[in-house]
Amino acid sequence: MRLRVLLMLTGAAAIGYGVVGLLRAASVTNPVRWTAQLVGAPLAHDGLFLPVVLLLVLAGRRWLPSSWRVPAAVFLLVGGALTLVAVPVLGRPGARPDNLTLLPRDYVPGLALALAVTAGAVVLGTAVVRTARRLRSRR
Amino acid sequence: MVHSPGAPVTRLAALRGLATRPLPEPPAGLRRGPFREGSFRSRLHDAALAARLGRWLGVLFAVCLVTGLLSHWAQSPDPWVAFPTRPVWLYRVTQGVHVLAGMAMIPVLLVKLFVVYPRLFTWPPVRSLLHGLERLSLLLLVGGALLQVATGLMNIAGWYAFGFFFPVGHYWGAWVTAGALLVHVGAKLSTARAALAQPLSGEVLPPPDEEDRAPALSRRALLASTVAASAAVVVVTAGQTVRPLAPLALLAPRDPRIGPQGLPVNKSAAAAGVEAAATDPAYRLRVDGPVPRELSLADLAALEQVSARLPIACVEGWSAEGIWTGVRVRDVLALAESPEDRDILVQSLQRNGLYARSVLSPAAARDPLTLLALRLGGEPLHLDHGYPVRLIAPARPGVLQTKWVARLGPR
Repeated sequence: MRLRVLLMLTGAAAIGYGVVGLLRAASVTNPVRWTAQLVGAPLAHDGLFLPVVLLLVLAGRRWLPSSWRVPAAVFLLVGGALTLVAVPVLGRPGARPDNLTLLPRDYVPGLALALAVTAGAVVLGTAVVRTARRLRSRR
Repeated sequence: MVHSPGAPVTRLAALRGLATRPLPEPPAGLRRGPFREGSFRSRLHDAALAARLGRWLGVLFAVCLVTGLLSHWAQSPDPWVAFPTRPVWLYRVTQGVHVLAGMAMIPVLLVKLFVVYPRLFTWPPVRSLLHGLERLSLLLLVGGALLQVATGLMNIAGWYAFGFFFPVGHYWGAWVTAGALLVHVGAKLSTARAALAQPLSGEVLPPPDEEDRAPALSRRALLASTVAASAAVVVVTAGQTVRPLAPLALLAPRDPRIGPQGLPVNKSAAAAGVEAAATDPAYRLRVDGPVPRELSLADLAALEQVSARLPIACVEGWSAEGIWTGVRVRDVLALAESPEDRDILVQSLQRNGLYARSVLSPAAARDPLTLLALRLGGEPLHLDHGYPVRLIAPARPGVLQTKWVARLGPR
């Protein structure tokens, strides 16, 4: 109980310190926009991103043969994470003509390759798990 | 003075009563959509899973916080204690870890939010004042975590669409998010302890009529896949700082092998607006001190030349090593008879910009590996690497390795 209160009070103090720091540096931190994004991020995630993921999961449940469901879910998770991480580099919005060392590659084939390797690993992993299960049940 | 022993306790109890007093429940007719009982039936929305993901998230968050504070310290112009200069790869490792741990956090954070999603639709939405406060702190936690990770990811790719100066916003955002995390851990301490004590192996099988509702993945498989996703993200990005992995860095914003003289560049000479001044034959390095000096490139080349293999380690998480050749900062300062116990200000030809100047602590300025480099890999510095003269020092953030040095001396 005491630890609990200590954690919550320390946390509240840290929040206060952060908010004051953010406000005192208002000329560079843009607190209004910062706050809008702080509130906007969970709204976008909970209201848009996650519902879309849940719809994909429901679609998989309805239309995929049941033996494909596990590998498809694993691919959705790993491939989805790779795709999200690629968002800021894919269209190269940060590229600058004077500096070719920033974003030096073509990221579209890079992501495609990463997704293909992920798919290959999932198929291989599924085959290994299923073979092992079959051998075990035969014994 | 007579003390009334009961009074403070009573007041505290009254406050507590107010904070936990049940608030009126909203009309049941409003309980629609996802707020209805049983809207989320997947067995993956589960406390044992949430607690385990939370534990990993906490570890990654702590790694990011500690390495982030180290970076803040290393970049502070007036630290209480100077950032260490050894080992030479110190900053390279801490900042590389900072960025990679932040990237590894992305899948764990998203899976954690997926697992706890039904909690968003708790009914009634606010049970008491305390419950409302706790939920408000969750908004700070989820918003802060998403914002820190998303803007960090954008920043390393040079995509500054988030509209605040990243180092400062990210730093204060970290305090807000860390604080919200502590509040959350405090609020969930007993729940999390109980949930962690539950084994994950005992899968509850769904009743036969609900078999189609069974999740595709078991709880263990979801955890394993989350780890795999984090690992995959690290594999395709770690090569920007771990050179042997560079061929695998399919999604990293930098390649440590690509750039003039085989090194990436953060700010080009054109962007800094120093092309004319840096290539002017009349260039002189001004050294301040009791005996001020102006040194030409020939003067600098006539001094004892030192070569050192030192990393250039950017705050953006990439790093690469080069063999730098030039003169020791301490030798140049000695020419001007500059005192050894002072902070040294290094100024660039670059007129504007936050990194047009940097400060060397007395220890860093005296360090035999702190160089004013004239050459990289045996060739004269490329203009984008700071020709004619750049600062290169051990365990120092790249933004403080001032390029196109015009002047240095006691602050």
